[in-house]
Amino acid sequence: MKLPISIAINGQTRSLEIDTRLTLVALVREELGLTGTHVGCTTGNCGACTVLLDGDTVKSCCVLAADVDGQEITTIEAFSTGASTLHPIQQAFADNQGLQCGFCTPGMVLSTHYLLGQNPSPTEADIRHGISGNLCRCTGYQMIVDSVLDAAQRARESAPSASGAAE
Amino acid sequence: MGYVGKGVPSLTNTRLVAGRGQFVDDIALPDMTHVAVLRSPYAHARIRSIDTSAAESLPGVIHVITGDEVKANMNAIPETYDTGAVGAKGVKWYALCLDRARYVGEAVAAVVAEDKFAAYEARDLIEVDYEELPVVADPEAAMSDDAPLVEPDWGDNIMATRDITLGDPDAAFAEADGVATGSVRSSRITGSAIEPRGCMASYDPYDDQLTFWDSTQNPHPLRQYLAGTLGVPDTSIRVIQPHVGGAFGLKMPTFQEEPLVAYLARKLGRPVKWIEERTENFQTGGHARDTRFRYDVAYKDDGEVTGIRLEVLADVGAPTALCGWGMSFVTWYCLPCVYKIPNSETHLRSVVTNKCPWNAYRGYGKDAASFLMDRIMDHVARETGLPRADVRFKNFIPADEFPYPQVSGAMLDSGNYAAALEKVLDMVGYDDFPRQQEEALAEGRYLGLGIGQELIPEGCSMPGSLILNGSDGVEVRVSPTGDVTALTGITSPGSGNETGIAQIVADGLGCELSRVRVIQGDTESCPWGFGNYSARSIIIGGSAAQLAAGDIREKMALVAGRMLEADPADLEFSEGNVTVKGTPGQAVSFDDVASDVYRNPHGANMEETEPALEATRHFKIGNVYHQPEKQGRFSAYPSWPNGAAACIVEVDPETGQIEILKYCMVHDAGTIVNPLLADANLHGGIAQGLGAALYEQIVYDEAAQPLTATFMDYTIPTAVEIPRMELAHQETPTPFTPLGTKGVGESGVGAPLGALCNAVEDAFPDLDITLNEVPLTPSRVWSAIQEAKTGAPEREAVSR
Ligand code: FES
Ligand code: FES
Repeated sequence: MKLPISIAINGQTRSLEIDTRLTLVALVREELGLTGTHVGCTTGNCGACTVLLDGDTVKSCCVLAADVDGQEITTIEAFSTGASTLHPIQQAFADNQGLQCGFCTPGMVLSTHYLLGQNPSPTEADIRHGISGNLCRCTGYQMIVDSVLDAAQRARESAPSASGAAE
Repeated sequence: MGYVGKGVPSLTNTRLVAGRGQFVDDIALPDMTHVAVLRSPYAHARIRSIDTSAAESLPGVIHVITGDEVKANMNAIPETYDTGAVGAKGVKWYALCLDRARYVGEAVAAVVAEDKFAAYEARDLIEVDYEELPVVADPEAAMSDDAPLVEPDWGDNIMATRDITLGDPDAAFAEADGVATGSVRSSRITGSAIEPRGCMASYDPYDDQLTFWDSTQNPHPLRQYLAGTLGVPDTSIRVIQPHVGGAFGLKMPTFQEEPLVAYLARKLGRPVKWIEERTENFQTGGHARDTRFRYDVAYKDDGEVTGIRLEVLADVGAPTALCGWGMSFVTWYCLPCVYKIPNSETHLRSVVTNKCPWNAYRGYGKDAASFLMDRIMDHVARETGLPRADVRFKNFIPADEFPYPQVSGAMLDSGNYAAALEKVLDMVGYDDFPRQQEEALAEGRYLGLGIGQELIPEGCSMPGSLILNGSDGVEVRVSPTGDVTALTGITSPGSGNETGIAQIVADGLGCELSRVRVIQGDTESCPWGFGNYSARSIIIGGSAAQLAAGDIREKMALVAGRMLEADPADLEFSEGNVTVKGTPGQAVSFDDVASDVYRNPHGANMEETEPALEATRHFKIGNVYHQPEKQGRFSAYPSWPNGAAACIVEVDPETGQIEILKYCMVHDAGTIVNPLLADANLHGGIAQGLGAALYEQIVYDEAAQPLTATFMDYTIPTAVEIPRMELAHQETPTPFTPLGTKGVGESGVGAPLGALCNAVEDAFPDLDITLNEVPLTPSRVWSAIQEAKTGAPEREAVSR
């Protein structure tokens, strides 16, 4: 069955006809071609599919596209326009080697963005809890945690306006 | 000076943090079709018939394939590991089961459809008439005379057997002050890369070219296996490795789906994509490490181990073309690891069952061997009353006895095990720990300290294998403008070896790192190489890169010498400039030398010199001996990185819950090319080791039905479970690579098993607890505590 929906994706309004069986992650990846959002499980466990839905992190494999009508979706693609314009969180991950294969990374960046929005000065334990919905099999998390600490520091040091959301 | 030794962040970071990487599922082609694979729901069943008519008539379905079509059109998948060369049994494995399924998840049929919805729906409409067959679910039962057979042609369920004796164990046991006996078990686990497997193929019939994108570690070998299965020349296939979302060994070829997708794309003339679901990955993506050990150890009162008898029994699952079963061989091969035990007897039985086949997984069996030896050393310490560190110091292979031949024929290249252990004991605060423990105990908290010692040989080279081999190629090109490209046979599954290669090439040429671009994972452009596994990328690929860069540097020095009227031996290459030693004013730029080579091949500076600046070199690593001696022993591992770990845990006796308070490791991988990425790899290895020690276990029931199907059942650690790790390096360079590198990619994964068991035991100094089986789930730990307290038999809630 087809259903018309209207969404704001990374700041752009789009009207689409979608298959009602489509998940949000399939909408983003396959219909919109935004492949920075990844799929590791489709059971809500790995967090590779994390996107922002009206500003909150969601696991987009567990949301039906039909349910996001009228909502605002932000994916990793909104966080940079080129190699020299990485978002400070992304830059902190790149500088601190907060990734290896990079498959979990977009989800980690989005969870970090959400976490720092809630808590600009997280402790290491806060960070570990904040990203515990995102599995990483490569890094053992240590350099991810360091990246988040560094990103928080950078955000605090720069003007409040520059630490705002990407969307 | 130079880039080697510097912690440069990975060159791929920018693209990947931006979400602009390209993983296989990110590739979309016009007219693309999707595959869904129907898998056996039974552990062992005959396929009587398959009815595909309902599936075929579903709108959107293009084709349904079964074993009959595979049999008529495809060859068996070539073995990755030459089983015959090591005296093991092999099988013919096809892209789909022909008439019998041997484990839950083995591929029985497949649908190609216009979209995934149609593919999955049609898959459910295929009707298979199965006749259930007797199941082999347990490796010990599998060895009894009346056991059903996984492979009826074999006559038994034993895939490989090895028995080797060194010295005189009988005499050692007769003369011992004491003998200890026990058993150890490491659980069935899997690598769980967050990106599942997946591949896509597209065929151009006019050019007879199949382009095959695969989340694989080994593009060149895979091309051979695809060509062999399809019966086509390898030149008609191009394998491309896009970004790989973690691999850890599990993406080594060849799985059934790879040739299946290649065949379907050729047949249908349309692009075909298959992306694995997580549940499929747990059922079929390769398991590891399910090994049971028995040991007898003879020791003296001073802690010297004078003899051992070790039995290794590995449940390798169903036999296939995959190389994973070889992990059982390597477990046996490493024994007795870092210890010098003059009288040793080791026995291996690799047993097949109706379970998911093994595929390579980080550690490749070395982990389990280190675990066993840790448990034995702790047992000897317990029996003799000596401190556990002292028992290890007493028995280490001394640092001045390398190269050291181990029982199996392994030739350990170098090491200083005692120094590594000393250092890690210092880091963890071993001497002060009893005080800390006592203080905690006074507050009702149970703290324990554990030690783990790992030996993780690298650079595997097995006789006759077209994948596990000790050579690799790199081509270095310097362009007319002085820009540098390195094309490698090795690949990176995200571990950063491209960055290490760039560092080696930049130093080899004496140019800036920013000039160097590294190309990997394309059989069309990259020189022959076996790809990524066994931490071989820097030790073998990096050595080839150094040779190739050296060739170019030599030619550039010759030309620059003529340009500067100086002796090439007096030239210095640094940061894009060539200067004459002692007269810094006399200089020419790297770019100008490159330019002259290309613009003036007939010029004075190029007289009797071959044009262009391109060099391809292949490096063959030493310390490998494939001609077996009289007990059949040979040396398959050139390089023997090792490490010592120590940890402090707190155990809650009421729940059996373990919290790691401190985890330290001293690691020795010889020369480190990139300390940042080496640490990154170690963190990942240790985290996977901690996962196996504490949380992870693939569980099957008595009918060999898998019970762990999602990340909810198979729990890999999150950031909350993994502690901050403290690392230190010790560099004992190997004489067998030009830089002295030994490989770091698998390290860290072995020591957590023994260290955690030992730490939990140590937390209860007044109780006689022995934990010889991982994972240390709360129920297992709690049961062991209860048993020690009450003498009641352990109630085992988890293990099967
Ligand atoms: S793909 Fe959505 S949580 Fe794993
Ligand atoms: S970097 Fe590979 S899964 Fe996180």
